[in-house]
Amino acid sequence: MSTNTVPETFSIPVGPLHVALEEPMYFKIDVKGETVSHVDINAGHAHRGIEYLTTKRTMYQNVVLTERICSLCSNSHPQTFAMAAEKIAGIEVPERGIYLRVVADEMKRITSHLFNVALLVHLVGYETYFMHMMQVREIGQDMVESIFGNRQDIGAMCIGGVRYDLDDKTIAYIKGAIDKIEVETKDIIKTFKSNGSILRRTKGVGVLSHADAITCGVVGPVARASGIEYDVRRAAPYAAYDRLPLVVHSATDGDVWSRAMVRLEEILTSINLLRACLRDLPGGPTNINDRPDIPPGQAVTRSEAPRGEVIYYLRTNDTPQPERVKWRVPTFMNWDGLRFMLQDAKVADIAMIVNSIDPCLSCTER
Amino acid sequence: MSRLPQDLEARLTAAAPAGVEYSAETDSHGVTVAWLGLAAAADLKPVAALLHEMGARLSMITCAQPSVPEEEDEDEDEEDGEEKAAAEPKETPKTFGGTPFDGTSYEIDYHFDIEGDALTVIAYVPQGGDIPSLTPIFRNADWHEREMMELYSVKVTDHPDPRRLFLDASVDGAVLERLIPFSTLVNAASTKGLWERLLAGKKGAA
Repeated sequence: MSTNTVPETFSIPVGPLHVALEEPMYFKIDVKGETVSHVDINAGHAHRGIEYLTTKRTMYQNVVLTERICSLCSNSHPQTFAMAAEKIAGIEVPERGIYLRVVADEMKRITSHLFNVALLVHLVGYETYFMHMMQVREIGQDMVESIFGNRQDIGAMCIGGVRYDLDDKTIAYIKGAIDKIEVETKDIIKTFKSNGSILRRTKGVGVLSHADAITCGVVGPVARASGIEYDVRRAAPYAAYDRLPLVVHSATDGDVWSRAMVRLEEILTSINLLRACLRDLPGGPTNINDRPDIPPGQAVTRSEAPRGEVIYYLRTNDTPQPERVKWRVPTFMNWDGLRFMLQDAKVADIAMIVNSIDPCLSCTER
Repeated sequence: MSRLPQDLEARLTAAAPAGVEYSAETDSHGVTVAWLGLAAAADLKPVAALLHEMGARLSMITCAQPSVPEEEDEDEDEEDGEEKAAAEPKETPKTFGGTPFDGTSYEIDYHFDIEGDALTVIAYVPQGGDIPSLTPIFRNADWHEREMMELYSVKVTDHPDPRRLFLDASVDGAVLERLIPFSTLVNAASTKGLWERLLAGKKGAA
């Protein structure tokens, strides 16, 4: 015990603004010197009561509302919600619609992952490479904007299928764009494996052990980087995923670097999935072209958003409005897991570790 | 086809002496979605312990207040087993376990994942009742239960950290059980009220 009056530990606030990205996360962190000794999480800055709102909207309006829960996984929400409605009503999505759902999903995954890994590089302090990666992501964002007319809320999903279609010209355009992203992503992976700055700041940092990952119930790339080979697209296939060349990437170290590598490798897989979809794209209608009443019932559906498993519970009654809609996004689980990742971390690594779960608060708090 | 253990229903039934209602359905992708209604909420913990032993992952907890079921003769309707069984005319309908279905009881759904298949365990709690915390078995029940406690006035016993999760402590609880007008929510009594306040402020300033 030291005899001077300086306390051994003191608390620092991290957040609520701009921990890693412009989302309100607030941590009360007790530090001992430069080392984190205890983490308290204060949530709720982006709580908007959307769960309540969904019960005031009709089923069809909710497709629009759920898309606005989040920006980066704005396609996963309406898709999973629509899947639940389709399950209750026994709606079969046409074959072409099933493939187009995968196309929209994988495009969003590519841009989401590139954004997260680019931010990691920014936090490392390697600004030139950050800008380069954002430019690579811009190829993807251009692609999304050209196909859907929007960069974030793409409005692609509807109950019974999708609301967009591709023709030969757009297919050729997508193929060209993903070819470019593929070359660049392979290059980024090489950099991640060899660049000293990136390796020193990310290897062995923010480790989540396999056992802790199971206890916390983490999902998505965070779980896969800790050796849990779980991907909803393979474990509980939906849309066309059981017919596509899906590879599930995982790692064993559970550190920031592994999570970034899982994401980068998933971009390459997404590109292959897109190619397979565009090659096998069946003809026919893209949706059922009808808005049937959704009968009373309940359903649980899941999908793999860029950040991991999204689960929707939908309960309908005789009214056009749902009785209860509840969903849980990957960050809800992974955020709590940060307690384990931040334990004994260095203060300078906090932002990097927080970013490594790819946090999405607006959809966690709803 | 299903990845759920063959004897799952038997084992779950054995773990819940008060009785269960089990149904399962497998879709064209080979994914099974199963539902397990519990007659007594007290059976929740043994069932959860069994699921934990089988390697299940707790994926989500949903709390809801199911509305009073309509009194009508529904034909075969697998989604609404509980409500249908309980829809006896002329008295408060009950779940098969005896919880009244009067619009104030809670239905708490525990959504589990077993290697890709989904199992939802349903417990019913009457208004004013409580439910044991699952945190000793599934640590990640923590946030779900905290959220449930702030959205409804359901009590979770033995929760290690029963603070608010998303709502501020100054907000009255059970927000999903009350009608909160949008204008109250956004802190302006009405558009007219806001306008009047603005005018009054202007007059005061002049």
